[in-house]
Amino acid sequence: MALLEVKDLRTHFRTDDGVVKAVDGVTFSVEKGKTLGIVGESGCGKSVTCLTIMGLNNRRNTTSWGEALLKGEDLLQMRPSRLREVRGDDIAMIFQDPMTSLNPVHSIGKQLIEAVLLHRDVSKKEARERAIVSLEEVGIPRAESRVDAYPHQFSGGMRQRVMIAMAMINDPEVLIADEPTTALDVTTQAQILELMQKLQADHDTAIIAITHDLGVVAEMADEVVVMYAAKVVEEGSVNSIFNRPHHPYTWGLLGSLPRLDTDVDRLVQIPGQPPSLLNPPSGCRFHPRCSYVMDVCKTKVPELAPLTGDQGHVQACHLDEDTKDREAARLLQATMSGAA
Amino acid sequence: MADELLVVENLEKHFPVTRGIIFQRQVASVKAVDGVSFTVERGETLGVVGESGCGKSTMARCVMRLLDPTGGKVVFDGRDVTTLSRAEMRPIRREMMMVFQDPYASLNARKRVGFIIGEALVVHKLGTDAEIKRRVQELLEVVGLNPEHYNRFPHEFSGGQRQRIGVARALAVNPKLIVCDEPVSALDVSVQAQILNLLKDLQREFGLTYVFIAHDLNVVRHISDRVMVMYLGKVAEIAEGHQLYREPKHPYTGALLSAVPIPNPERGRARVSIVLEGDVPSPINPPEACRFHPRCPRFVAGRCDVEEPQLRSFGHDHQAACHFPLERWPMTVDEIRRPAQAPTEPVSA
Repeated sequence: MALLEVKDLRTHFRTDDGVVKAVDGVTFSVEKGKTLGIVGESGCGKSVTCLTIMGLNNRRNTTSWGEALLKGEDLLQMRPSRLREVRGDDIAMIFQDPMTSLNPVHSIGKQLIEAVLLHRDVSKKEARERAIVSLEEVGIPRAESRVDAYPHQFSGGMRQRVMIAMAMINDPEVLIADEPTTALDVTTQAQILELMQKLQADHDTAIIAITHDLGVVAEMADEVVVMYAAKVVEEGSVNSIFNRPHHPYTWGLLGSLPRLDTDVDRLVQIPGQPPSLLNPPSGCRFHPRCSYVMDVCKTKVPELAPLTGDQGHVQACHLDEDTKDREAARLLQATMSGAA
Repeated sequence: MADELLVVENLEKHFPVTRGIIFQRQVASVKAVDGVSFTVERGETLGVVGESGCGKSTMARCVMRLLDPTGGKVVFDGRDVTTLSRAEMRPIRREMMMVFQDPYASLNARKRVGFIIGEALVVHKLGTDAEIKRRVQELLEVVGLNPEHYNRFPHEFSGGQRQRIGVARALAVNPKLIVCDEPVSALDVSVQAQILNLLKDLQREFGLTYVFIAHDLNVVRHISDRVMVMYLGKVAEIAEGHQLYREPKHPYTGALLSAVPIPNPERGRARVSIVLEGDVPSPINPPEACRFHPRCPRFVAGRCDVEEPQLRSFGHDHQAACHFPLERWPMTVDEIRRPAQAPTEPVSA
């Protein structure tokens, strides 16, 4: 059994304009020590998926269905007191912007110690030692003195390290990282990704990495979920997603990337914008922007179906497989040309 | 060369750091831009890359005279613009326009799109009201928006559409130079591709010259003819785009290139990545000599921390400021650590 299994997760927000179906039937699972990458553009529901798993949505206007089983225990059905025990202990989260997710009026040591004391029966002194060790582990120099510093005294990359230290301090089994490197420079991004991989190897943590950067996914993930307009459109192992992409949206994402390793004169562009989730398009939600659109796409919602010869790779598109194989090969050819 | 549109010589911008309330005295200065020289030819795109805080945006603002440089010279279209008065500057402002990073903050939320795009035309008195309206509608069409959106407000548009409005505004007065300061970094990949394609098309159509600032090396490579790498207010390396990406000479360029994740699992995981330690140091007290030396993987004591490297030539149009340039690319981590002790006299250009 997988460590975390998410089954048919749905999250709807009630707003003044109507019901926003921010997550509409998402299923995936994460194994121990593996990394799942969730890719998609802003507003496709990738962050809300993770907030729902963590039980962090506003309860007043949110309704969620489905299951999120962590070691067989459903996070969605948990009593609040049990959820508080699990959260920060078995499952932890890193947010995108480290400045707004650390409390500016408390020293980082105090914030780290709080995380330990909430979940472990230890003295303050031991908790402080634990905090220092975890800061050292994420590569903060002079941790004994830096532990009393405040968030503003750290640079962006260092703050993100502190966030990681805080998430990892109780040695969680699942770490959810929501755009962990988006606000950072490439050099700092490389440092943080390396750090996360090292920690994953040391602690055998499962990571769910949410990102819009396919480069980061290619580098970190074992499994990839591509989301579009609150639904999963394609899911599979990282190699099969990048070598045999089978959904026109995935082609669009891959083709629209300017690349270091190849020369393309003109980027493939996906016309239009992601749809509003108040009124998602009928049938396949990608059909208004898809250049392979057929009549059936406008009326019938495509189901996730496995590829022939690759059961682990599923996609939701009405196009026939031969066409998709041909198009995928053409795209790969185009993006690989000129490569050494 | 006669075809240079923009020549920047030794540009400097130091911001004073002061203490005291009534009697302010200067205690230090932030050397945001510290002696940058480059040229941009007509019709080309110069990409500028570097980490945050290395002076890219300040440099752009000095070029546009949105900030007054504290030293050096900016020659635009044959005229030194650094010494002109505001009134003398006004006709030149028509020739150089800017596209900003944040499409949400750079459009006045209380003005209609027609006004935002047409304002420069009004300021420069380029036509009657009817002519301006016609021109604005034409511009909306050029950037791929519906001319009927003339009377809408910015909040009615998505991020990508707003950035198109920003581009239309920059185009309104037929400028020669457009400085784009991180124009796509706030956008999603699919929308980013739309804007990059649009910028390329417009350049071809109107013969525009771009200075394109970005921290995303992929984007810069895609759009630029030449690329300049900045580090802490100085030029680390400048070269023709392909050359820079194929044979970087400066270890900083190498580190930047190797840090970019490649959207291909096999190739991405196989590459050698030089992970730099730490962050960009403060420009208030930049490191002595070579500013990159505390983070440099090929730092040589007694040389890099003593003598400041000058930009020198590595073949056609390729310059880098390093005592121990990379011999080839890609290199293994060990090779990068051990610089060849070869003579570092300039190669004949």
